Amino acid sequence: MIELEIGQEVEMEFGGKAKVLSVIGSGGQGIVYLVRFNGQKWALKWYDINKMAKPSAFRKNLQNNINDGPPSNKFLWPKYLTKEAEDGTFGYIMELKPEGFDSFVDILNTYKLEIDPLSGRAVKRPVKFNTLSAMVTCVINIVNAFRQLHRAGKSYQDLNDGGFFINVNTGAVLVCDCDNIAPDGSNFGIGGKPGYMAPEIVRGIAQPNVQTDKYSLAVVLFKLLFRGDPMEGEKVVRDVCLTESSELKHYGQNAVFVYDPNDDSNRPVRGIHDNIIKFWRIYPDYIKDAFIRSFTTGITDPTKRIIENEWQKLFIRLRSEIIQCGCGRTNFSSMFIHQNEKTFKCPKCGMEFVTIGFSNRDYRTPLYLGCKFYTCEIIPESDDFTAVAGELVENKLKPGVLGIKNCSDRQWKAKMPDGVFYDIAPGKGFPVWQGLEIDFGEVKAQI
Amino acid sequence: MSNEHFTEPEVNENQNVSPLDDFDNAETVSAPSVSDDSILDFDDDPLSATSVSKKSLVIFFLIDTSGSMKGKKMGELNTVMEELIPEIRRVGEADTEVKVAVLTFSTEVRWMYSTPIPIEDFEWARLRASGVTSMGAAFKELNHRMSRNSFLSSPSLSFAPVIFLMTDGYPSDDYKEGLKELQTNSWYKFGLKAALGIGQEANDNILAEFTGSKDTVVHAYSGGQLAQMIKIIAVTSSQIGSKSMTLSDDTTHELGEEDVFAAKQKLLGQQIQELVNTQTDGDDVPFDTGW
Repeated sequence: MIELEIGQEVEMEFGGKAKVLSVIGSGGQGIVYLVRFNGQKWALKWYDINKMAKPSAFRKNLQNNINDGPPSNKFLWPKYLTKEAEDGTFGYIMELKPEGFDSFVDILNTYKLEIDPLSGRAVKRPVKFNTLSAMVTCVINIVNAFRQLHRAGKSYQDLNDGGFFINVNTGAVLVCDCDNIAPDGSNFGIGGKPGYMAPEIVRGIAQPNVQTDKYSLAVVLFKLLFRGDPMEGEKVVRDVCLTESSELKHYGQNAVFVYDPNDDSNRPVRGIHDNIIKFWRIYPDYIKDAFIRSFTTGITDPTKRIIENEWQKLFIRLRSEIIQCGCGRTNFSSMFIHQNEKTFKCPKCGMEFVTIGFSNRDYRTPLYLGCKFYTCEIIPESDDFTAVAGELVENKLKPGVLGIKNCSDRQWKAKMPDGVFYDIAPGKGFPVWQGLEIDFGEVKAQI
Repeated sequence: MSNEHFTEPEVNENQNVSPLDDFDNAETVSAPSVSDDSILDFDDDPLSATSVSKKSLVIFFLIDTSGSMKGKKMGELNTVMEELIPEIRRVGEADTEVKVAVLTFSTEVRWMYSTPIPIEDFEWARLRASGVTSMGAAFKELNHRMSRNSFLSSPSLSFAPVIFLMTDGYPSDDYKEGLKELQTNSWYKFGLKAALGIGQEANDNILAEFTGSKDTVVHAYSGGQLAQMIKIIAVTSSQIGSKSMTLSDDTTHELGEEDVFAAKQKLLGQQIQELVNTQTDGDDVPFDTGW
């Protein structure tokens, strides 16, 4: 039994039945149905075991994952198995994708298809991040989810653009398709998706593991930021037709990064890879360097791939370097004029932005109305990159005077214009001035 | 020559003709020029991206519209094709732009639309049946159009096309001559070929000559089967065509070109056979009886 019928009931492993309501989608390993179980709606993934190498080992692994539970709430994790049918087929149920999330595929396409109820025709609805901060937060969330997964000793194995749901307003991420996740070192038959697979898998000399996940993660991050394929440039396009052997060559044996500094044979082609050409000029060097490393030395030497924690630090820095100018220009500080060591200037309207130096960073952070810093940035042991610790605001009683508000639950100290340090309780603030110094505890900052 | 690997998997046949002309298009690719770096001379909004560059996949349907297809067969075919289009829409995801081209052959050979249409915009124009079965002419026409200068003129990379032949009878012209021409075409060689014989008259051997193997030929004897088989072949082949490469269990030796050559076509054969074998025969009246 490959396909389930609408209205059919599937017995769950620990009793009860899930009733099939409709088809949600189909993938390489099976079909996903909308079902009702215990009065609630769920998604049921029903496998085509003909396409599986080792169905019983696969089922056992799913069972183990269900028992272990998700590494964090960023995963749409398998919840319950179904009973095995007589012919050995089975499935599992998971929670439905919440409202407000779009698939990564839609973001890459920049639109999604919706069926217009009146005409019955497919219409395109634009899908893009609302703010730059939401986009970078999304990247941090993706990296963090895989850090959590890998810390739990598991690998995802099939990382690709179909594996995420993203909230384009907040950057929140849900990792889906968690059924191939397995303890590092085990594999139950999945290889991965072309373009995302590590070269050693394409070449047939390795199976998916934590190291190959890291390669795929770099591809996902590159696609999200640069909107193109890191290995598809002039060299690949010359082949015209991507046959099995060209795929083996360009993504396996002889994969060349489009911006490999030591090999310009595969540069992006204008007219085809315009996104990459454009965005490569926008991002700061430390981000580009990380991708260069991932896709040059990281191709042949899996241990040279960027680890998740390093990505996380880089992208937390990138988020802190976003400048939102009053004239409407929002970009990374790398795209503003570096007026002097401590000041950035908007190339469009000329507005200047002072910077603040934190004792735990070797770069300075621009300040602008509405800019925020997060708990992980002022408490070294914290991994919390979503809780706002401080925000640059305008004094409500003295219009035009800018200051920093303590949004954290800790008391800070700040040096006021009279030269004296005052306690800054949660909810209080202090003006930004030339000689400002802040003591967050372990971390200090000064203008 | 930049694409010499195309010739390498060719073991013997057709070396004398020049099938590679279509692919040899290196001059259309130019290295990006580096322009100056001033900050405001270009659109620099990190959020304003265009869609990722897609690889294009054209699905060719070659459909027999000769007189013998009239009635239930054509009705069934039209209906299933109308229903099929939305199902194939999803297979491309973000990496592939799927396009559809439909070539019909009866006494004359005709394209449904003058150019391949993106699947999102494709609308099935219902077909009518009359005339004889000019399969050879269809092969020639397909060969003519499967070229970078014609139906496969993607600015970027393409996957090898999916070519799906459906017929219910014996060709009325010299199909061998047409097929011989078609076999010189690189797109055909690397393409995913599948065929569906409809009713008793269709000759599976001829279809296997077209696809290159018996695994990718299936037969439908009834209306229910016709719908099932068209769906199986079209969906499976477009999925495989736009994706590819599964994992080998053996990681002890590195894959070479010979290991992956025609891997998709083999996989298509396997999957079609698996799916076909799981289908149960409906109670429908066979096509060839009852009229």
